Amino acid sequence: MSAAQHSYPPGTVMLALGTKRGLFLVTSQDRVHWDVQATTLQGRRVFNAILDQRAGRRLFAAENGDFFGAFLRYSDDFGQTWQEPKRGIQFPPDSRLKLQNIWVVEPGRQDEPDIVYAGVDPASLWVSADRGETWEPNHALLSHPTRDRWEPGAGGLCLHTIIADPTNPLRMWIGISAVGCLRTDDGGQSWVFANKNTRADFLPERYPEFGQCIHRLVQHPTRPEVLYQQNHCGIYKSLNAGEEWQDIQQNLPSEFGFPIALDRQHPDTLYVMVEDPQGRHNIGSQLTVYRTTNAGESWEPLTKGLPSGTQVKLGVLRHGLCTDGKDPCGVYVGTNTGQLFASSDGGERWELITDFLPPIYSVTATILGEA
Amino acid sequence: MSVVTVFFPSVLHAKVGQQAAVTVKGHTVREVIDALEDDFPGLRFHLCYETGELRPFVNIFVQRINIRSLQGLETPVPPGAKLQILPSVAGG
Repeated sequence: MSAAQHSYPPGTVMLALGTKRGLFLVTSQDRVHWDVQATTLQGRRVFNAILDQRAGRRLFAAENGDFFGAFLRYSDDFGQTWQEPKRGIQFPPDSRLKLQNIWVVEPGRQDEPDIVYAGVDPASLWVSADRGETWEPNHALLSHPTRDRWEPGAGGLCLHTIIADPTNPLRMWIGISAVGCLRTDDGGQSWVFANKNTRADFLPERYPEFGQCIHRLVQHPTRPEVLYQQNHCGIYKSLNAGEEWQDIQQNLPSEFGFPIALDRQHPDTLYVMVEDPQGRHNIGSQLTVYRTTNAGESWEPLTKGLPSGTQVKLGVLRHGLCTDGKDPCGVYVGTNTGQLFASSDGGERWELITDFLPPIYSVTATILGEA
Repeated sequence: MSVVTVFFPSVLHAKVGQQAAVTVKGHTVREVIDALEDDFPGLRFHLCYETGELRPFVNIFVQRINIRSLQGLETPVPPGAKLQILPSVAGG
């Protein structure tokens, strides 16, 4: 039975798994029993996918083909059939830019259900005002005065994180590797750097205006000025919309990691998965999710049900960790070797939901019936 | 203007009306791609970057010769020519 032929009652938790070889949907009514289904988007790299429920149920997927280009496709039948945009993400020919990969797709604010954002390599923000049928670049970012000095990270010059402030229609943040965090306060007409006190230990200047390798950024759901980021060089918190940051690595055993996620019902609770920066896998012989319940004052390791042993060398990419918004919080971890782990109690206990998937690039969680 | 037949890999059949081959007109490979874009909007972006440059792992053969060893997209196409579009060999 395909994903589209399933009926999904309200309350179903749906995980969209973007992998190196296609998109999978993983669903559960009780977060105990899980069902794994392949969509028809198979054989291609899917960096990111998300179900948008603001106006119907539209599943977006950032498909990056090995041969024939990158496309932000959408499906209105849970991945059974896919549409290509009428005018997709393509740079103006005179820009001399070439789309490499589409890294992230992010639905806009609740009160603008037709708006969808996408971030790509080379670093640019794209906006659709018609639910993904046509796309336009943000020109202020394309012509940013510092752009010719932006340098890519190992994954490319990718715009991987987009946050549209739900309380301020003119404010957004984006994350670009290895440029850093940028903010607009005028609806995308201009962008300023928001990297003060974040380190770039790989550059001659340790605290530059830009050039930091931000890996992931999240916003507090009720205090919009509060942001958290996992960076190549540290874990940080901002209390003033990114004007300045404070290091909250505290007792974490590494400053290096990719993902960060937040419990929306208890937003002082966050999760990270710091790694060995050389091997880019779990530290030591225990896969560990680290949790703070006091907004980064201290961190505790969560390991119950997660694998251990000298052979355990698991990596989690920047979009590979997410939460589901329920209480207690569901937390989901997809590894770059194809394991999916889940916790339905805020990380206390973990289960291996499925194995042998292709390398997992991203996991997003949606509760059906809730936008 | 030359009438040529273009053969597609299976992954692109959906972009050309579920056909394995189509007939179009053009003097050069670039003109053939332009004609294909007219008939099947959006196809060009699967073959070329926004700049017009051929994607690195897309190969086009004119009479079994890769255009990269000819004149690239400016390679002339003789009347009745057969063009094959093939992805690069993957995996080693």
